[in-house]
Amino acid sequence: MSQGENGLAVETRGLVKKYGAFTAVDNLDLKIERGETYGLLGPNGSGKTTTIKVLCDLLKPTGGEAFLLGKKVGDNSIAPRIGYMPQETALYLDLSINDNICLFGEVYGMSRAEIASAEKELLEFVDLTKWRNTPVSNLSGGMRHRTSLACSMIHNPELLFMDEPTVGVDPELRASFWEYFETLGKRGATVVITTHYMDEAHRCGKIGMMRQGKLIAEGSPQDIIQSTGCGSLEDAFLELARKGGHHAD
Amino acid sequence: MRIKRALAITKRIFRGLRHDRRTVALIILAPVLAMTLFGIAFSGEVEDVDVIVVDHDGSDLSNTIIGNLDEQTLNIRFMDSEQEAVKKVEDGNAWAVFVFPEDFSQNIATKNAVIHLRGDKSNVNVASAIATTLREAMTETLTQAGGEMPVSVSESPVYGEDAEFIDFFVPGIMAFAIFLLTTLLTLLAFVGERTSGTLERLKASPMRDGEIVLGYVIAFGVIGMVQAFLLLIIATVGFNITIEGNPFLAYIIVALLALVSVNLGILLSAAAKREAQAVQFLPMIILPTFLLAGIFWPVEAIPSFLRWASFAIPPTYGVEAMRSVMVRGWGLGEIWMELVVLLAFALVFMILSVKSLQRGKG
Repeated sequence: MSQGENGLAVETRGLVKKYGAFTAVDNLDLKIERGETYGLLGPNGSGKTTTIKVLCDLLKPTGGEAFLLGKKVGDNSIAPRIGYMPQETALYLDLSINDNICLFGEVYGMSRAEIASAEKELLEFVDLTKWRNTPVSNLSGGMRHRTSLACSMIHNPELLFMDEPTVGVDPELRASFWEYFETLGKRGATVVITTHYMDEAHRCGKIGMMRQGKLIAEGSPQDIIQSTGCGSLEDAFLELARKGGHHAD
Repeated sequence: MRIKRALAITKRIFRGLRHDRRTVALIILAPVLAMTLFGIAFSGEVEDVDVIVVDHDGSDLSNTIIGNLDEQTLNIRFMDSEQEAVKKVEDGNAWAVFVFPEDFSQNIATKNAVIHLRGDKSNVNVASAIATTLREAMTETLTQAGGEMPVSVSESPVYGEDAEFIDFFVPGIMAFAIFLLTTLLTLLAFVGERTSGTLERLKASPMRDGEIVLGYVIAFGVIGMVQAFLLLIIATVGFNITIEGNPFLAYIIVALLALVSVNLGILLSAAAKREAQAVQFLPMIILPTFLLAGIFWPVEAIPSFLRWASFAIPPTYGVEAMRSVMVRGWGLGEIWMELVVLLAFALVFMILSVKSLQRGKG
């Protein structure tokens, strides 16, 4: 069933993903508006990555439905409109930064001129212009993360999924990543980020807290803190986990 | 299916080789080295075999037979004592003793003349060379004496006139090198795609599973053909082998074999979580190919209860087709069946490898 072009950026209804007897995602209902910066927050093993992978059509759901940009996940027309930055850097180490970016540009059907223009802008943003022809194997971990981000963004996606994009990234780079995510939001792109850093979640317009595959709270960071009467998101999460969770809005 | 996206994968494989000299060396040097070493090792005949002659007869006849023994094959020494000569064989200092009894020449008239051969038959190739040389010397002596066999064989080969073992062997080693290296390179490259997360990234893009497979097929098909070109050059220039058939047809066989191998590599990669695990598949690829595909000995020499296994592996058809083109000079009309079987293997493996990519969705 199509949700139409004016639908939500992401919508899931009773989404379930099981691995044998283990339930990784348990009856998840998500609604993410277009242009929103949405943080999926939770400890390791809470189902964040599995949710992202189901939404990116990398895993088949066991139950429920998921829609992206008004189309059911699995529809071939969605892939060119979304970007995916996996948890690991997922780059070809034997290729240069330029070769990696060009490859993903070609995969998304971009012309050489389009790739060159987008690559110039992205490399300036991630501050890798002068390393453009360096093999990725010779880059530091932080530089690889920045290259990975550039590869995910080369086709200027409407909806960007980033799985723990700031893990292993130094604080300065994390700050610049978040500035960029906010810029994307202002340009109208929807950004869905998974993180287990509670301090980062403050920068999201809306967060969904996950635990054991379930959404235990959803709302703006301030709303969640206020509704639980806690002093921080971390305390709020612990409180919600103890109670079994609620929705702030 | 968009060919442009598949070609993006092909380009990425070739771009990667620019920075990976070790893999380039493996692609170029491994088949060249294998061909050269195998070629040199297998092109020679058995030579310089130490034998001892004990001639108790000492007649013209025994001397003529001894004189007709091929001295390139045999290093002949003479001894008087049969016992001491046999001791030399027992001690590993000689391969055989030819004993001409005292009454050897006298018994010729009654057709009871016997040459005693006391040999070490632990090496069948050497033993066979000794027996053949002795038989040829006797035939030669008979001819010189004016005697003639009542029956003669007039040989006019249909195929393979002047063919030596190396002519039989080179097409086999070509098919083997391409099958093994293409499977290995694809297997390692694809396990790398899976473990590094790049495969997942590609699958989240508009790239279809079939396009990824096609990109690999084109890249490794081209690499296989470059390898085949090098091997054909070595075969013709280095080992003086004449390709009786159309070399272009040999290329088609190589391309088909590469197609089979790429898809087998992708298929096997689904069962390996790490590169170290992928390497464990090597004996599974090498041993059946080496032993059952008819590279070193004909499939007909394999026991009949095991022969079905030869026909269950793709290189058997590649080896047979290559040999038919290169030695027999056969064309498409004669080898079409082998090509069809290779194509069928390629299609089945391709379907299974695409399925293996989809299965990852769980």
